[in-house]
Amino acid sequence: MTRLQARELTLAYEERTVVHGLDLDIPDGQVTVIVGPNACGKSTTLRALGRLLKPRAGSVLLDGTALAKLPTKRIAQQIGLLPQSPVAPEAITVADLVARGRQPHQHWWQQWSDEDERAVTEAMSRTDVAELAERPVDELSGGQRQRVWIAMALAQETELLLLDEPTTFLDISHQVEVLDLVRQLNHDRGRTVVVVLHDLNQAARYADHLVAMRAGEVVASGAPSKVVTAELVREVFGLDCVVVPDPVTGSPLVVPGAPWGA
Amino acid sequence: MSTRTAVGGDSTTVPTPTPERRRPAGYSVLRTGRASFLVHRRAVTVAAVLTLLLAAATLAYLCVGESFVPPGEALKVVLGRPSPDELVVGTLRLPRMVVGLLVGAAFGIAGALVQTVARNPLASPDIIGISQGASALTVGALTFGVTSYAVLPYVSIAGGLVAAALVYVFAWRGGLQATRFVLIGIGFAIALRSITTLFMTKGDYLVAQQAQIWMTGSLNGRSWPEAQLLGSTLLILLPAIAWAARAQRTVSMDDDTATALGVRLGRVRLGLVLVGVVLASVATGTAGPVDFVALLAPQIARRMTRTAQIPLVCSALTGAVVVVLADLLARRLFSPTELPVGVLTAAVGAPYLIWLIGKRHSIRSRTVGGKS
Repeated sequence: MTRLQARELTLAYEERTVVHGLDLDIPDGQVTVIVGPNACGKSTTLRALGRLLKPRAGSVLLDGTALAKLPTKRIAQQIGLLPQSPVAPEAITVADLVARGRQPHQHWWQQWSDEDERAVTEAMSRTDVAELAERPVDELSGGQRQRVWIAMALAQETELLLLDEPTTFLDISHQVEVLDLVRQLNHDRGRTVVVVLHDLNQAARYADHLVAMRAGEVVASGAPSKVVTAELVREVFGLDCVVVPDPVTGSPLVVPGAPWGA
Repeated sequence: MSTRTAVGGDSTTVPTPTPERRRPAGYSVLRTGRASFLVHRRAVTVAAVLTLLLAAATLAYLCVGESFVPPGEALKVVLGRPSPDELVVGTLRLPRMVVGLLVGAAFGIAGALVQTVARNPLASPDIIGISQGASALTVGALTFGVTSYAVLPYVSIAGGLVAAALVYVFAWRGGLQATRFVLIGIGFAIALRSITTLFMTKGDYLVAQQAQIWMTGSLNGRSWPEAQLLGSTLLILLPAIAWAARAQRTVSMDDDTATALGVRLGRVRLGLVLVGVVLASVATGTAGPVDFVALLAPQIARRMTRTAQIPLVCSALTGAVVVVLADLLARRLFSPTELPVGVLTAAVGAPYLIWLIGKRHSIRSRTVGGKS
């Protein structure tokens, strides 16, 4: 089953077409990772899946209905999205920011229900930011801040969660931490998660379903063990490499080939 | 392992063991039945203090002047009881004070809304050309012989809206970038000021003099009709202002995040700006451009409440206190000569503006509307 699909999707920024006639099915209850070199259109595609970018042609379907035809608040109850570099209002505290994830479930006369409180409490404890609750977001380290943003997206309690390069400004231990959290979310709750990553090895390690993109098109998709091959890496990234099994997880591990021409 | 199933269902049991309950830091929840409201505790305290301050300022305003009126007598007049000071307090000081109070409140809210939408403390209606647009059209109308105070406020609103639309159109490049928006606004403000001057030199001497006084922002001679107009505008816009207070929570986030949270950003932003422009224009129309109140009041209020967005009620109260006190000083400082209140607010506001511009270098500029 796939709740979220793209059909003949063409995406463009002003004159520049970034994605051409893309078809994509996001498998339910799995972690889908979209990878590809810089400027291949992976983030653009994710933005379109989360209705942040209007398609030039084609459409994104949620349960068979085009996103453009759905009220944005209704979409927000189904799809959560964390942009690449979100900006917090000045001086906002952690708990306040996470609480704003509840926006799509609230009304002017219902600004804070028990349900809101439960969701926020849970999101904060899952992401391990509960003890930061009263701190201003501006003062946090990069890793802490990213966890807070993820907590906000979690508090939204959507069945589908889209994350745009959530590991970008983090050091390696925080990258692993964030990706483990993503995996866990999917594992415990059966949530559908779509992540854009640029690190192929991380993608292969954490994905159930891998989508490799190049120049606005899907080059290959499927289980990482099927998709990640030396030929694919050459085709997508233009890199000679050897693919070996990851010693820990057994997933494919890309080792770049002879750099000194040896 | 938790055995809880999927999200959201009405019958979901509370997770056990219950962790410490989390709500936004500093907020309390008011509940009646299914309705619930988030209230920022510090903002409530600040609002209470500001209300007391406003009460003290208004009382001082009524008592102090050419002749001193004891507070007891002033209160009698306000409560409608007979008093020998009926004329001085009831006819001269009270209506002028009420106009000043409402002008301050309107500028405070207007500034808060426009600053929120532009995500920039510089983007205040009196800096980015909205007040100047209202002035230009009003002075234009004056020189063409429209002198009725029943018509002028509407002329001001039209001027403010046209100026806002022009700034918006010229600043738009597939999105609104805050710095460009402010700079273009400042440019328009200067251009519109020159147009105002042009109208004044074209008009006859008496009109020019009248316009000149109006232009510095003066409460001199303002009375119940103006108070009524301002009061009814605020009253009519009250539901919109209540809506705006909540909408501010999401508009203060970046565009992508706000959209992902299900906010119709374009419409919300337009709504907030419209409310702000109408309030700023009506206030300008009645008292002239009382400079810097819209710029200052929201930032003072925010520093006091320490909220993540600019607090509307506290901005309104701060604006009211500032204008009432400034007009009191304007009346008394060089007595018997009365200064226009705008001179006083400018004396405080200009140094703040310079400081703010100096400080802006260290703040990253943010994009509003669309991806750049």
